[in-house]
Amino acid sequence: MNPLLEQFLSEARDFLQGISEKLMELENAPGDAAMMNELFRLVHTLKGNSGLFDFPEMTRVLHAGEDLMDAVRNGRVAYSQLLADRLLDAMDFVGMLCDEVESDGVMGKTHGTDAARLGASLRELMQSDDGQAPDQASGQAPGKPGAPGAPDVATAAETKEPDPEASAQLPLAAIPEAARMEAYRRARAGDPLHWLVYTPSEQCFYQGDDPFFLVRQTPELLWGGIEARDPWSPLAELDAYACVLDFSLLTAAPRAALEEHYRYVADQIRLIPVARLALVLPQGDTNGGPVYDDFLSDALELLRAGDLDGLARNAGTMLELSNPDLWIASALRWLRLVLETEPETEPESPAVLDALLESLRTFEPPAWDGVGAVAAEGSTQRDDVATLSAEEAEALEAVVATQRTILSQTDNPDWLPGRIQSVAAALSGCLRVCGDSAALPGLDAATGDALEANSGAALLAWLDARFPAMAPVLAEAGAEHPSVSPQLPTESAPAPSEAPPAAAQATPAPEGESGGVKFGRRAEDAIAGPKSLKVDQTKIDRLMNLIGEMVVAKNGLPYLAGRAEDVFGVRELSRDIKGHYAVINRIAEEMQDAIMQVRMMPVSFVFQRFPRLVRDISRKLGKDVHLVMEGEDTEADKNIIEALGDPLVHIVRNSLDHGFESPEVRAAAGKPVAGTLTLRATQESDRVVIEIKDDGKGIDPDVIKHKAYTKGLIDEATLERISDQEAVNLVFAAGLSTAETVSDLSGRGVGMDVVRSAVEKVNGAMTLTSVLGQGTQLRLSVPLSMAVTNVMIVVSDDQSFGVPMDTVVETVRVPQSAIRTIKRSLATVLRGRIVPLKSINTLLGIQAQHKANADDELAVLVVRLGDETLGLLVDDFRETVDIILKPMTGVLASLSAYAGSALMGDGSVLMVLNVKEIL
Amino acid sequence: MPIEFKGNHALFLDIVTVEEAETLLEWLQKKPTAKVNLADCVHLHPANLQVLMAAKPVIKAWPKDAGLRSWLESALLE
Repeated sequence: MNPLLEQFLSEARDFLQGISEKLMELENAPGDAAMMNELFRLVHTLKGNSGLFDFPEMTRVLHAGEDLMDAVRNGRVAYSQLLADRLLDAMDFVGMLCDEVESDGVMGKTHGTDAARLGASLRELMQSDDGQAPDQASGQAPGKPGAPGAPDVATAAETKEPDPEASAQLPLAAIPEAARMEAYRRARAGDPLHWLVYTPSEQCFYQGDDPFFLVRQTPELLWGGIEARDPWSPLAELDAYACVLDFSLLTAAPRAALEEHYRYVADQIRLIPVARLALVLPQGDTNGGPVYDDFLSDALELLRAGDLDGLARNAGTMLELSNPDLWIASALRWLRLVLETEPETEPESPAVLDALLESLRTFEPPAWDGVGAVAAEGSTQRDDVATLSAEEAEALEAVVATQRTILSQTDNPDWLPGRIQSVAAALSGCLRVCGDSAALPGLDAATGDALEANSGAALLAWLDARFPAMAPVLAEAGAEHPSVSPQLPTESAPAPSEAPPAAAQATPAPEGESGGVKFGRRAEDAIAGPKSLKVDQTKIDRLMNLIGEMVVAKNGLPYLAGRAEDVFGVRELSRDIKGHYAVINRIAEEMQDAIMQVRMMPVSFVFQRFPRLVRDISRKLGKDVHLVMEGEDTEADKNIIEALGDPLVHIVRNSLDHGFESPEVRAAAGKPVAGTLTLRATQESDRVVIEIKDDGKGIDPDVIKHKAYTKGLIDEATLERISDQEAVNLVFAAGLSTAETVSDLSGRGVGMDVVRSAVEKVNGAMTLTSVLGQGTQLRLSVPLSMAVTNVMIVVSDDQSFGVPMDTVVETVRVPQSAIRTIKRSLATVLRGRIVPLKSINTLLGIQAQHKANADDELAVLVVRLGDETLGLLVDDFRETVDIILKPMTGVLASLSAYAGSALMGDGSVLMVLNVKEIL
Repeated sequence: MPIEFKGNHALFLDIVTVEEAETLLEWLQKKPTAKVNLADCVHLHPANLQVLMAAKPVIKAWPKDAGLRSWLESALLE
């Protein structure tokens, strides 16, 4: 999963949480406009975010929610409980999608219908006067309102024979006969037929859609047609890019496949199941003649006699004699097709043939009403039960078995009538779901009998008659799940042991009954928790402090070991403590590292503001600057990153303001007109280096020198001998601005000195190089983390001092004789270089001489100071330790000689020197 | 060019994209007696189709692709 998606998911949960909170708050204060705005903003943002990914279902639902919220906050729609319910439902759906994406990495492709339905239910609230719209939008067949208790057409459509009358409303006659015949054969072979109407939005061309291509790719396409929505306007006024075409097509693909294919435009299609018989529409010239009368009477006789072969022969002969363009020929072709494909056992076949022959006589399209009734009586049971899925069949079986158990109870409690009624209700639900409505009157009668007799026996008898195979099954009982009853299709029966016990409680086809799928998870359900955690920084800081203390406590162990050995003389114990120390040390280091990881943050956090900043400022200044950013994913401690923000902004602004020349000047100097500002972050061992490089005019050392001189920052002697690099570094001196004029961007006294001290505050260092005419480069180096400092302990006059390791170059012992005095300064030669020496005692005001060792050597700690090295005379060196540096507080805070203090393992306080300050 | 204009003949080739619709419309506005040859067309963006439907030029040849032909016939044969 890519980081963007990860972040989206984590944020989406926050948003969803926020949305439901706001919705619930609004229930108490529906008039709160501010809260409504906030709610809108949340939904809006979430929608926008979801648009970044390929989640059309999610976006669609959120979009509908957003539109609805917009209508509410503008007062067009009143806030209501129903609205909150639907929005919460929609958000549950989105949450479910998020879960799915999180667990599987992709979103299931079967949510198109749900999304469309949820979207429609939200939009319905906006146009409540047009109640029929959502039904159509969600792809339900018109004319089939979802009456309570009736199976939802959308979900049950495939299990039910489509209504021939509804199909007859469709413009099927426009389809060429050959295509219809093919469709008829496919339907006969068991493929579901669907009429699909696709009404692309007018703007779809602008979104890069090609609806024509989409429909041409429809799975199992049998026929398709294109129509203009409105009469065409004159050619001169035609807008070629407003889509006004409607597509309709006939397909034999399963509903799910179609929904997947059209999932991006699910709200723009309508899917209507097509009854096979509705395709039987003879077409052509109705010029018939009396010749056919004989054929007709013969045919009817043959049909009654059941001689279908004879009928087929007769029809074939007749067809050969007829002009193929005639209506009669078309009807005969259909007759032949029906004879070919309809199995003789089919109870409705004679009725179909009858209707066809009748239409041959009347030249009217065949009337299927009668056939429909026959079909309903004769075939529903077989067809519809047969189309129950394995799960449904199993659930049905379980429900029936449960009812049987209830009825079989021989006790006769007061609530028996209620019990009977509840069984009756459950059974009638089952029958409806199976589509076996014909059996309902029988059930009602049996229920009536049972209630009258105040005994379940009558109902039980009915049940045994209706679902006979269940009885022995129940007798066998229990552990082994039986194969399904003969009425249920054996081919769809589940493997016996697969049946989950929970099925016993499940109602058959749960989504079919309620008419709407619920995505709501009850509060007590286990919710897949988000993987990331938002934690207040103070908590992490506390953890950090605790780790710090642990490091200190851990450092006490070697001291303890030393005491055990030296003071108490228990060598064994000392060794044990040391061994244990190694273990604790490792754990502490890992913990420290783990917490550091938590605090790590990519540099992009500060970098991300620069594209906008550079764009705005460079436009304001009329300069053309191209920003290049590299290494944004370099990580460092959050505090460090945050501390870098302001200095970087300042540096970038400086660069833009007086680093880059105007385009004309650049062109004149032969440089590219557009300047390039490069921000580059890299990691170098335990430090992050950030380079800010521009290809502007650079800094003129002479100008700086003179400016510094006139401001009194340097004296005349310095002015004479200062090197160019040193002069350039003068920009860090307080009170110096290189800008000729004070602008609103710089030159307000916040100079580079402030920037430098801000960087140094986080133990960072800054170097500046500039070549006149070629540009300036600033290099910031900051530690990855400032939590733990590695210091070297030095001793002078029996006092311990810490010196940060990042300033230490080396430790050497220099013979007293090798130390020379030049004027009043001490110096020595190290590897051919003169290194000035300073006594730490002198610097700190300690009245003591340095102690030399047995070989008359003095300890010299060589430290780096900017670009120079310098030797610090001390008495002795000790080990290096990791310490948690605490800044000096209170009155001590003004002592700049110390960077801070740290607690040592033996309980003593170590003062850590601020080497730059004391020198 | 996916559409080749020769006199008052327009020859559609391969895939005719959405960009062609404007050109086609302008051309058809100027040529009321235009004839269109779709034989070598594999797919055309519906924007073009709209233009053809509105302008009703004479279709000289239908696409060789049977599927496309059937779609276009439903739209252009009135």
